[in-house]
Amino acid sequence: MSRPVRSVAIVGRDIAAWLTALGLQRAFGRQGVSITVVELPSMLRAVDVAVGLPALEGLHRLLGLDEVEVLAACAGVNVLGQQFANWSRSRPPFVHAYDSQGAAIRQVEFLPLWLRARAEGLTVPLEEFCLGAAAAKHGRVMVHSPATHEFSKARSGYHLDASAYVRWVRHKAVQAGVRRVAGVLDGVARAPGGIASVSLAGGETIAADLFVDASGPDAVLAGQALDVPFESWSPWFGCDRVLTASGPRLAPLPAMSRISAFANGWVGMFPLRDRTPVIAAYDSRRIPDAEMARTAAVLTGLRLGDAVVSPLAVGGRSALWTGNCVAIGEAGTGLEPLDAAPLHMIHVGLSHLITLFPVDADQMIEAGPYNDAVAAHARHLRDFQIAHYRLNERLDEPFWDRLRAAAPPTPLAYKLDLFAARGAIALYDDETFLEENWTAILIGHGLIPRAYDPRADTVPRDELMRSFQRMLGFIAAEVRAMPSLEAQLDLLAPAPSSYAF
Amino acid sequence: MPAPLKVVIVGGGTAGWMCAAALVGALPPGVCDVRLVESDEIGIVGVGEATLPQIKEFNDYIGVVEADFMRQTNATFKLGIEFVDWGFKGSSYIHPFGVHGKPMGGVPFYQYWTKALQHGRADAIEDFCLPIVAGRKNRFAFPTTEEGGINATFAYAYHFDANLYARFLREFAELRGLNRTEGKIVDVALRPADGHVASITLQSGAVVEGDLFIDCSGFRSLLMGQALGVDYEDWTHWLPCDRAMAVPCERVGPLTPYTRSTALAAGWQWRIPLQHRTGNGYVYASRFLSDDEAAATLLANLDGAALDEPRPLRFRAGRRTTSWARNCIAVGLASGFLEPLESTSIYLIQIAVTNLLKLLPGPAIDPALAAEFNRLMDVEYERVRDFLILHYHANARDDAPLWAHCRDMDVPDSLRRKMALFQHRGHIRQYKDGLFSPPSWLSVLVGQGLRPGHYDPLVDNLPYERMTAAMDQLRAQVAGAAEGMGDHAAFVAGYCPSPAAVRTPEGAAS
Repeated sequence: MSRPVRSVAIVGRDIAAWLTALGLQRAFGRQGVSITVVELPSMLRAVDVAVGLPALEGLHRLLGLDEVEVLAACAGVNVLGQQFANWSRSRPPFVHAYDSQGAAIRQVEFLPLWLRARAEGLTVPLEEFCLGAAAAKHGRVMVHSPATHEFSKARSGYHLDASAYVRWVRHKAVQAGVRRVAGVLDGVARAPGGIASVSLAGGETIAADLFVDASGPDAVLAGQALDVPFESWSPWFGCDRVLTASGPRLAPLPAMSRISAFANGWVGMFPLRDRTPVIAAYDSRRIPDAEMARTAAVLTGLRLGDAVVSPLAVGGRSALWTGNCVAIGEAGTGLEPLDAAPLHMIHVGLSHLITLFPVDADQMIEAGPYNDAVAAHARHLRDFQIAHYRLNERLDEPFWDRLRAAAPPTPLAYKLDLFAARGAIALYDDETFLEENWTAILIGHGLIPRAYDPRADTVPRDELMRSFQRMLGFIAAEVRAMPSLEAQLDLLAPAPSSYAF
Repeated sequence: MPAPLKVVIVGGGTAGWMCAAALVGALPPGVCDVRLVESDEIGIVGVGEATLPQIKEFNDYIGVVEADFMRQTNATFKLGIEFVDWGFKGSSYIHPFGVHGKPMGGVPFYQYWTKALQHGRADAIEDFCLPIVAGRKNRFAFPTTEEGGINATFAYAYHFDANLYARFLREFAELRGLNRTEGKIVDVALRPADGHVASITLQSGAVVEGDLFIDCSGFRSLLMGQALGVDYEDWTHWLPCDRAMAVPCERVGPLTPYTRSTALAAGWQWRIPLQHRTGNGYVYASRFLSDDEAAATLLANLDGAALDEPRPLRFRAGRRTTSWARNCIAVGLASGFLEPLESTSIYLIQIAVTNLLKLLPGPAIDPALAAEFNRLMDVEYERVRDFLILHYHANARDDAPLWAHCRDMDVPDSLRRKMALFQHRGHIRQYKDGLFSPPSWLSVLVGQGLRPGHYDPLVDNLPYERMTAAMDQLRAQVAGAAEGMGDHAAFVAGYCPSPAAVRTPEGAAS
């Protein structure tokens, strides 16, 4: 006889814990599955920012979160992509927009056409043919029309104040029926093949059929209690520490993140409505924290305050779901705070757990397919991040020289080789980023394919140039017609700085 | 513009002519200079008379007019494949080109069906699938594109005479500038420097050079197997059938809009209804049945009089370990053989052509393109392989040693995990590339007799009465839509009548 899962204990904190709680409550709460968050002390600081991909909109819909409310509650900004600057000494910055580039001509894809035109002397960068990138650079709010829909896939991602986001999601979760038990973890009782219960200092013991470890890098269940090994990905990454700080609001508000490389890592600006969170990822063996704080201020040109540092360990657990315990977010996968990867891993972990929610508390064979799919997502995100480093052109800087030389993981090496050969993207199952995203960063970082689809040569040259001109004109006109982020914020009521429940 | 790529296609069966038609039909002039070399002396196998819906995309892409093509190939429509006696003797299910029901609350319909089953209802999953209900009534109509509409829940394919299809594509390709050379190949010359194929020599002494060679020479695999020595990976331990007897018979009875596959003691028999005749064949394992017995069984199991002597075929399930080696690409039987149980032969040709078009090389062939082509084709072959094995493995027949053997054999891990997960909770994973999508897997898993032990817990969010009401409503909607379709034979007679078509009384009726 099988025994259904009647109780879930989410042991952890912050975004991973509360998104998971709300997601599971909305999916299974109605049928009487009890969802408890054993809330450990928050590791969030007032300066922290949550960065989301356009896919987060789908998760919000699933969670019943209203977009306008979330944005208002979290000083949120809709962003159209991420700008990368100084990853090469000689190349201009580029934008990885959440969008496609150009349009096919005579059924020939745009990229080979652009590559041909480039070989024939065109100097217009690929991103100029990307509506999302143009709108991002002009600080616009993406408004689609039938014409833009046909031309572009542009969608918006998110910058949200992390603490406000947690408060908002927690409020919704508790309202929906999630039980909240706050405290400090005192002990974990093992059961054959998993966890029986957790107990809090000076109090309660919480037993459950299923446990979620959402405790962040501590991994109190998956790592500390179950000893699931954590495989480091450090051969391909160089940063071991993250500094987060906050500067004054930018005006006008940019519609993108800005990631700028420097000698020992990178510094990113993630503008919000009322302030500008700054994240620096760096190698602390090469630059001390205090100097990093000064460097971040210099590089961003902002007066920064409240700087805090935390360690960064990039890697993944050998199994994300072990026995009756599922590690979601940083408890399972450590990625750099680039490409909106950390929040997206929470999203992927949660959505797969809902799809594969175990039907038998004593026999969770769902762990197999869950681990396959979620770990594949993690590796593909990792590879996307590695591509930035592998393709850097900051010559004669030891931090960057090592990363440029490190042989990529096999699937990424394969992807880079194919793109270099032909401008084609090898896509695997369980990829977060698609052709257009890979194309944007690979071309942006200067990986120009040595050949292209021979069909591109069949389009007459004057037709090609006319079509390119038309696309550029179309993009300029569409972007002019879009409202600016500033104008849109003026229309909304002033965002409250914090919410109390 | 650079000089066109010189492509030489070796062999003029279905594979050769599909490659030729696509290269001249879909590419702008000047990209490729295509020559097809075939020998009139060498017959073509052409057993693949039943297709999958993807063939329509291929035809549309290269610019074929459907009604013309159907008329000229004696084609009929196909909504799925009926499997008789497969799971157990007396069973019948259809693998449809469409979905079973609509998802509710983001959860596939069959999860609700599973719950209903566990609560004692006895709904047949087929009642919720329009192409099955329509097919069993011998009805046909074109699907619509209306979003969410019941008539948009299916696709269709064709049954056609593969020899006539090759001829049709030949005319199509020759009209668009394809060069055809008649002649038997007697020698293949490799470039000493890199082992690429430099040229082929014909019996006449003519030498044909090329940048890229496409081996469509069938089982002989003249270039890939013989000249380049690429190994063959044997899959007969999973797919033991190694021979077939094929014979056409007179067309009698209603024109079914589906292929039929009937499991027999040592294999299975196909039945493919065309406008002018019905194609039949017995695919069997020679270790369990003699050729004479196979021929006799086949002849005894026809719906009409045989129109020919049974023709024997021999094969070995498996594939070349590499599909694209150096400057040579194997397509069709030259690259592998999987029995036509799920009508995948022509699809595998088509996907090879599609991938070639996507990765079309320049005259200096970049090995990265070959690697990607091979990666994509590996995925296709392995997924089809697993799907075929499922039909054999998940059986409850106790009447013949073949079936006991298949039930007991070890299957690939990928399939074993898939079956285990389905039996545990009905989960079927959607993958990005390759056949088959979850509705196809579902029809065969359920058809072969597997049932999930549990259903997706999200199902419980819908109150039971509302769920059963939605099911009853859907069943009625499907039945109504099937009733609204016309007779298949009449549809074919009106849309694409072949001069050779046989008019049966049933066909003329409605």
